[in-house]
Amino acid sequence: MPGIRFWMQVPGAAVVSLALAGAAATTGQPKTFVVSMQIAGFEPAMLTVKRGDRVEWVNQDLFPHTATSDDKAFDSHSVAPAGTWTFVAGKAGTYTYACTFHPTMKGTIKVQ
Amino acid sequence: MKLTLTALGGFLGLAFAMSAAQAAAPTDPQIAAIVVTANQVDIDAGKLALSKASSPDVKKFAQLMITDHSGVNKSATELVTKLHVTPESNPTSQSLQKGGDDNVAALKKLSGSAFDRAYVDHEVAYHQAVLDAVDTTLIPNAQNAELKALLVKVRPAFVAHLDHAKHLQGELGK
Repeated sequence: MPGIRFWMQVPGAAVVSLALAGAAATTGQPKTFVVSMQIAGFEPAMLTVKRGDRVEWVNQDLFPHTATSDDKAFDSHSVAPAGTWTFVAGKAGTYTYACTFHPTMKGTIKVQ
Repeated sequence: MKLTLTALGGFLGLAFAMSAAQAAAPTDPQIAAIVVTANQVDIDAGKLALSKASSPDVKKFAQLMITDHSGVNKSATELVTKLHVTPESNPTSQSLQKGGDDNVAALKKLSGSAFDRAYVDHEVAYHQAVLDAVDTTLIPNAQNAELKALLVKVRPAFVAHLDHAKHLQGELGK
């Protein structure tokens, strides 16, 4: 079945994200968004979510990273390789963040 | 860019070894040895800098080098074990090791801000040289797809470390 082959080719984290996003579209439940942590940068670097949504950072590198907002509204602290950290968006605003270990890694989360 | 004689010597030695390696393309076991050695010499320099550097930012950078390059070497070691590849010493890995040893020996004679500057200068030259080698020699010649993929995956780390070291170099030069 083409549908099955498609799902098997999608990385696990993305499957969760898509599945939850699909469910949320019909139920209005909070969504979960996945952000990849790699030394080349956060992906996606810019993300817009609604209050109550979950943002899950996944470390896809071979060494630790952090997702630390400039105003300290959130701080994952050290996330090990293959580790994840989840933040539930509470307060509306625009949060710029970076990896405290690798200052060239920067991202933005906009909470509506 | 200000380079100490030691940093320049190490850089030229590596560049020379790389050009020699290009003449005879390295095999996968040789590439594995180059990768492991390249990471290990930077871990060794980082350990020295962690104990001797005076600038907090330089100490932080040294710790980052230890952590990141240890992470890369852990993956590289796991991969070559899985692939049953035995790293094979070669002129490039030997030159890297000698450059690393010479760098550590020279750094041990320095202290204070002179140490910080020399360490960071060498980090800039080292990461640039390794990045060039990754692009021109290692990735193009890696035969095993997983080994090539590992090199592609770690390349951005060398870019980020180079940028970070250059930033520190600018800060120390002020």
